[in-house]
Amino acid sequence: MITFFNRYGRAVRIGLLIAGVVIAVLFFFGLPVILVQSSIRLATPYILGSLAALIASRAGVLNLAIEGKMLLGAFIAIAVMYKTGLDPLVGVIAAVLSGGILGFIFAVLYLRIRINLIILALAVNLFIANATVFFMRTSFGAFGTLADPSIHSLPVLSLPVIGNIPFLADRFSGYNAIVYVSWIMVIVVWVILFRTRFGRHIRAVGQNREAAEAVGINVTLVQIFALTLSGMLAGLAGAFLSIGILSQFVENMTAGRGWISITVSLFAFEGPIAAFFTSLFFGFSEALSFYLQSQPNVSIPSDLLLALPQFATIAALVLVAVRIRAAELLKRRNFAAQFGQELANLKRGLVGIKD
Amino acid sequence: MTQNRFRQWFENAAIPIVAILLGLLVSSIFVFLAHSDPIDAYQHLFCEGFGPRGCQTFGDIIVFHPQAEDGTTQTVFGPTYGSGGHPLAIDVERATILILAALSATVAFQAGMFSIGMDGQLVLGAITVAFLGYWLPNQVYALAGIADPKAAPESLLTIMHLIIPLVCIAAAMTVGAVYSWIAGYLKVKLNVNELISTIILNAIAVQVVGYLVRNPLRSDFNSTARTFRIDDTAWLVPFNRGILPGVEWFSGSRTGIGIIIAIVAAVLVGFYLWRTNAGYEQRMTRGSRLFARFGGVPSERAAIRAMLISGALSGLAGAIQILGVERRFVDGFQSTGFGFDGVLVAILARESIPGILLVGVFFAGLEQGAINLQFGDLPRQLGSIIIAFIILFNSMEDFFRRILSRIQSRLRPPQRTQLAEAPGEPST
Repeated sequence: MITFFNRYGRAVRIGLLIAGVVIAVLFFFGLPVILVQSSIRLATPYILGSLAALIASRAGVLNLAIEGKMLLGAFIAIAVMYKTGLDPLVGVIAAVLSGGILGFIFAVLYLRIRINLIILALAVNLFIANATVFFMRTSFGAFGTLADPSIHSLPVLSLPVIGNIPFLADRFSGYNAIVYVSWIMVIVVWVILFRTRFGRHIRAVGQNREAAEAVGINVTLVQIFALTLSGMLAGLAGAFLSIGILSQFVENMTAGRGWISITVSLFAFEGPIAAFFTSLFFGFSEALSFYLQSQPNVSIPSDLLLALPQFATIAALVLVAVRIRAAELLKRRNFAAQFGQELANLKRGLVGIKD
Repeated sequence: MTQNRFRQWFENAAIPIVAILLGLLVSSIFVFLAHSDPIDAYQHLFCEGFGPRGCQTFGDIIVFHPQAEDGTTQTVFGPTYGSGGHPLAIDVERATILILAALSATVAFQAGMFSIGMDGQLVLGAITVAFLGYWLPNQVYALAGIADPKAAPESLLTIMHLIIPLVCIAAAMTVGAVYSWIAGYLKVKLNVNELISTIILNAIAVQVVGYLVRNPLRSDFNSTARTFRIDDTAWLVPFNRGILPGVEWFSGSRTGIGIIIAIVAAVLVGFYLWRTNAGYEQRMTRGSRLFARFGGVPSERAAIRAMLISGALSGLAGAIQILGVERRFVDGFQSTGFGFDGVLVAILARESIPGILLVGVFFAGLEQGAINLQFGDLPRQLGSIIIAFIILFNSMEDFFRRILSRIQSRLRPPQRTQLAEAPGEPST
């Protein structure tokens, strides 16, 4: 299989790309509008979450605390609106800031106090998952869900030009601001990573820490910035969950979306554009399971359908691994072909000297 | 030598203890924010978790003065005073599954596999047992042509009671091992990050088990879906119902043979890891896979073996929870996160076997105390917040050591430090 991949790798990739585009277009215009809309809505937390994950891992830190940061953002957004009674926008800003602050604290704990990254992430996730419920009970007296008639979800915006084109309007337009922001963020993150000095530093630190340090890049500072940015994106994703889709906070409402976001970023090889499309696929598979549940004449067990994204993730992990492995083998084989003869000569020469 | 060993042991124990104290201290901020008195709250928490019934203050946990019916007070040793059942017995019941999950995590960690797939393996083991514990005895009754299990001959029941739990446990261990093998194989052959793959595998297991409980294995139309209750012959009878009926200490808890199995498993895991070639191989693998391979250790096989053992232990944990405690699989069990708690126990215990036994009971008591705290004004999430901070401070070892050495170097005159470091003493 690996030889096949290597020989026809480019053809396979182009073929898959064309097939993907065709399927996407067909799905986009062929499927019911509700399904398309809910896929795009459900993809939004994955888009933002995977951007958060990929910025951190581009900077060489596997950010496993995205789940916690998302949950914090979701909680803070609702809590701030509940306490102040202000515009939903304030809630979103508070969520982004709180995610950023948590990201900063996470970075300091990891980089300065040097806690094991995985243990730190597990502890942060455990803490946030319980602290949100703790404050929900003690400060708001709410059990299970935190909701109030005064809390509104974000208003639906319709895009200026596309909103008037009849066929595109109901598919592209009519979402709340965070959905559009997430699309813009894909481009922004791409620009940051590949077209700015700061992005170059991030990638340098992620690829080779020592080399980056030797060139004079302040590695710690870059990583702290990257983790803070990552936290802000995760906070935004959380705000989308709590005041974007619903207008309430539910215990553990991220439900593993942070973890899936990490796999999305892995699957997308840490590229923002690829992460966008991968997120759409995950959003679609989630929307499909909800959609099929609501259909009266389809009798597929809903619990198994909800596991669909997870099965896709495992398949994705395996595919990614096979691809990396294939690339490695190809490199090794090329190296052997190129330098094998010279190496053999060299060895012979060395042995000759010894004799 | 002995002094050195004592010092090492002391240092290993000191950091978790400091971490526990700091964790409690920092968590008291949250109690404060909830407008409660931290000392009162902790007193309540620890009394509910560790003290005898009727315990009011910290002192009562050790030395308790219960009032007899005739009005006189007596002085007793808290942990053994079992009138009305002792919370420690419930802690032990809860700790059994934590200890097994922690052992499972330890075996995986000691091979350098950061697997946290205990939850998925545990839940799959549990559902296997919940099914077999009901189905297997019924098959036997059908084969023997017995319509009413109560009328079955005593000898048959005895034989079944000896064999069926073993079969169930073996099946659960196999299921857990197979499920764990997936992550191990992916890691070893394809270098898939085991942390992420086990998290996803956990999510899949939870969904699949939820489906099984709600659909094919559902027993009745109870509002919470549940399986049939396992047959009496598959039941691991708790101490207070079985061999120690008169001991009041155990009353109210379902502590049973499971804790003995857990302790035996702990001893066996300790023996395996530190006294056998296979254990040595997998610990070598942890340090550096390449180094181990150059040293002649089949590192891939060792890593896979570790994952198999880890999965089997998780499956065992799930089996004991169903066979000994719950007796049926109730919907919602799959998302309680016992496996994850086990991982935390293993982390705080620094993967040492006696540590796991102690920390397992400690965490169980903390959670148990927090659950009962909910009857007061604080939510039970306080227990998990404390645990999160304990874990956090526990892994600040590096930071503590740096501070300590800074203080030491400041206290010591400079020329003496140079002398002390000169004769090749290993400086950390």
